[in-house]
Amino acid sequence: MKMVTQIAFANMKYHRSRNILIGVAMILTTLLLFLVPSVGMGMVNGQFAVVNELYPTWHALYRGIDQDTADRLSMHRDISRSGLRSDTGAVPVAGADISMMYLDQEGLFLYKMDLTEGTLPQKENEIVVSKGILDELGISGEIGSTVKIPYQVYRDGGLDFTQEKQFIITGFLPDTEASIEARQYVAIVSKEFLFQEVPKDQIAYRFLFQIDGNERSTTDQIEEAIKQIAAQFGISENDTNINTEYLAANYVDPAFVPGIAAIMLVIVIAGMITIYSIYYITMNDSIKEYGKLKAIGTTKRQLRQIVLRESYCVALFAVPIGLLLGTVLVRAVMRLMTDYTGDGNLMMETMRAMIDNNGFVMYHWWIYLLAVVILLVTVYLSLLRPMRIAAKVSEIEAIRYQEGTKNSKKSRKSRQQFSVPYLARINLAGNKRKNLITICSMGITGTFLMVVATVLSCANPVESANSSILGQYRVTVESESGNKEHPEREWSEIVKNNPLSDDLKDRILAIDGVDRVECFTRITVDADELAWSEQIRGIPESYAKELEQGIIEGSVTYEELKSGDKVVIDKNLLHWHPDLSVGDKLLMTIQDGDSSYQKEIEIAAIGDYPHGFSIYEYFLMAKEGADSLIKNNGSGDFEIYADRQYDETVEQQIRSIMSETSDLLNLSTWQNEYETWKSALSMTNAGCYSFLAILGAISIMNLVNTMVHSLHARRKEIGMMQAVGMTNRQLILMLQMEGLFYTLGTLIVSVGLGSILGYPVFLWAKENGMFNISQYHYPLAAAVLVTAVMVLVQMILALALGSSVRKESLIERIRFSE
Amino acid sequence: MSIILEVKDLVKHYRMGSETVKAVDHTNLSIECGKFTAIVGRSGSGKSTLLHLLGGLDRPDSGKVIIEDKDIYSLGSDMLAKFRRKKIGFIFQDFNLIPSLTVWENVVLPMGLDGRKINPEEVLEILNHIDLLQKKDAMPNTLSGGQKQRTAIARALASKPAIILADEPTGNLDSQTELEVMALLKNCVKEYGQTLVMITHDETVAQMADEIIMIEDGKVVNHS
Repeated sequence: MKMVTQIAFANMKYHRSRNILIGVAMILTTLLLFLVPSVGMGMVNGQFAVVNELYPTWHALYRGIDQDTADRLSMHRDISRSGLRSDTGAVPVAGADISMMYLDQEGLFLYKMDLTEGTLPQKENEIVVSKGILDELGISGEIGSTVKIPYQVYRDGGLDFTQEKQFIITGFLPDTEASIEARQYVAIVSKEFLFQEVPKDQIAYRFLFQIDGNERSTTDQIEEAIKQIAAQFGISENDTNINTEYLAANYVDPAFVPGIAAIMLVIVIAGMITIYSIYYITMNDSIKEYGKLKAIGTTKRQLRQIVLRESYCVALFAVPIGLLLGTVLVRAVMRLMTDYTGDGNLMMETMRAMIDNNGFVMYHWWIYLLAVVILLVTVYLSLLRPMRIAAKVSEIEAIRYQEGTKNSKKSRKSRQQFSVPYLARINLAGNKRKNLITICSMGITGTFLMVVATVLSCANPVESANSSILGQYRVTVESESGNKEHPEREWSEIVKNNPLSDDLKDRILAIDGVDRVECFTRITVDADELAWSEQIRGIPESYAKELEQGIIEGSVTYEELKSGDKVVIDKNLLHWHPDLSVGDKLLMTIQDGDSSYQKEIEIAAIGDYPHGFSIYEYFLMAKEGADSLIKNNGSGDFEIYADRQYDETVEQQIRSIMSETSDLLNLSTWQNEYETWKSALSMTNAGCYSFLAILGAISIMNLVNTMVHSLHARRKEIGMMQAVGMTNRQLILMLQMEGLFYTLGTLIVSVGLGSILGYPVFLWAKENGMFNISQYHYPLAAAVLVTAVMVLVQMILALALGSSVRKESLIERIRFSE
Repeated sequence: MSIILEVKDLVKHYRMGSETVKAVDHTNLSIECGKFTAIVGRSGSGKSTLLHLLGGLDRPDSGKVIIEDKDIYSLGSDMLAKFRRKKIGFIFQDFNLIPSLTVWENVVLPMGLDGRKINPEEVLEILNHIDLLQKKDAMPNTLSGGQKQRTAIARALASKPAIILADEPTGNLDSQTELEVMALLKNCVKEYGQTLVMITHDETVAQMADEIIMIEDGKVVNHS
């Protein structure tokens, strides 16, 4: 066997150009095989570390739980730890958000909250605060101090009037920089206080718990248990909140492993196709040699081993380089990914700091081992056929074998006139099988690239922003239900004196750069069939087409919707109310200021609308119809269209008009939506395209190999042509035309097949809600880029090959014969 | 008769390991238009190097090769290639046909590369003359040695060059074919009024030439 290895090693050196290309393909494949799981694991580990630092430790919470259910739940065999929280009320301070809650000791632990000093309150007049709360109230105090604190408690579904009470401070919670900046604080009160202030029948706990993890190791198993317990106790899905971030951080997400495995399979396939193709195309050079070896007694197994070990010898050099490159790049790639998400994302900022401080493990020995093993298996699989060919070589045939003699054609019609392109064509026609392998090999990667690019190009931040907001700016009225301190925020009050008035509309219209303002109506309705209040959205006539085109079931015209007794429901409503269907007549209670009345309204159709159109108001009607239902001003939002997508002065002017009008108005902008989407999508794009670029580079090795080999095999022939007068320019032209054939062939396969396959994949991605994509976009940029790169590589290659040919003297080439 | 090719003080030395081989060493000679000249010498005497230099396939260390009053080594490589396909016809010992091209295409290759319009009548006439008309669409791998060399001769003749350079054209042929090819070559040169310079180590072949130049150690030792 030692001799076999020696021959393989000698072969590796002898077939240098082939093995350099195989080596480059192996380096890139190893790099990806290492980088993908490392970055994947790194991001997950990083996220886990960040989550463990930032998120509470409860697995889930059930809302609206009474004391009795909480007691029974805490004894459930699948629940290992549990705590209770009850939101009691709020401390009213303008601009700050100070919630007041009851939290028991276990709850404190599950929220990862720690008192900096003191203990939890026991008596009704005891409280735990933070320094920030005292600062907000403009008071000071220590443990044991008595302080006067104003508060509003939740009663009858809203915040009650403000009261004041003398509290004794029993402990302090820490303030974080983020909480001080956001002015968000928590004060903890005792159970006694809760019982005293909130009527017993209105006390609702949040039951926080951890599932016993001994028998469950995946997030799916834990989530299943959470849902099962909820079902046993009749707790609805809406009242169950699963701490998915914490679960993902501490338990294995079963979707993670297949996801990474699928990406690695793509890499393996790309590597396999490339290595196979490079080896197969240059195999003719070695056939004679294998025949000779066989003639002197080398067994089939030994021949297979010679082929395999030659490439394993290459791997010996390539794999460490790939791993080294990967090791260097993991940190850089992860740093880049956290940078890409931009500032302001607490999770990514924390992760960036952790990357810099080695806050979590980025390198795993088993990923190194995995990359090596998978690469060796890839090489083995890609060489299966070459090994079989080598083993089957017939001694006599191989010795006789000569390049070109395999051409079985004895004659063909000669071409009377002659040109350089014809020479290129003749050469290509003589190597149909090799051409097919090269083109297919590159075409498969190209097709994959185009399909992924299709999905990515459909994930367009402009469109996502467009589907989030109709115009460039949107002014809405913020309403609040049940806050006794602010009854003016009730929608029923707002409509009586709606700030979205004609006067406001005119003032906005007068702003330079604003083209038009569309006013949508919003009416609150109730019905027995509905679990909670819903809104009727009155759509202005200028959107009649959009309203009609969005209908997916049933049929109704905009004109018919003007009557006020027919509506189109958004299909999202069916998620909560699957029983609703076209033709149903709902007896709706229509709120109009202080009064209400009942009216029968028919569901005429079901539609599918972007949430920017419906803004989660699921009953759609013509504005005229909606307006006819109430006497008050039911304007819900202004959609403002400007001549430019974003103009800071326009935004400022709108804001200033808004602040002069009412503090209930809220502005959202297209630009803001766009920025949010752009930031989210740019990281995905960067990651995917980098991956595709390396995959493309692996595939390009095919083109390099085919052209290098074609030139090498025709060294003498080209020398001859040059001897009889072919100029260097003609030689390069010929090589370029040959390269162009591969380029065009690959592009036809990649762009053609990629475009055809891209559409069904887009439909699948849309159906599955991937990247929130809505419209098909041909990946023109990717197609142009792939074309440009291919043409450029091929041109550079032809020039480089042409110049390498020139380095060797004509005489040497004419004499050359292998 | 006018001089078509003139060699002035031509030098080409090679390094072979630590030794310097004087393949062509200050050689001077001239070839007359329309003559059949044989360059004779033993193996390693430098005759092939001389022929390559005469045809512009290699570059000399110094000296000049003047063909039709043009110093060919004053030309850049692309211009030299163009000059070769217009003015020089080559016949090699191992034929050097392009395996992927038919007999016809091999013959018209220099003209095709030159962008010249090919006159089929003339090519057919040459192929007929050298008895390859039936094989004009055949691929080179189906031809016998003699047929291959006749194709090479047709290729050299078809572009109507100023001079034909033949490097041991019968070296790979059996004696019967050798005689046939030589007769054809001499006949064609005469018929088409071509100048032929042929390298050979075979005295009997050389005797068919109008002039014989003897080369030894890179120098002309006899010109008769």
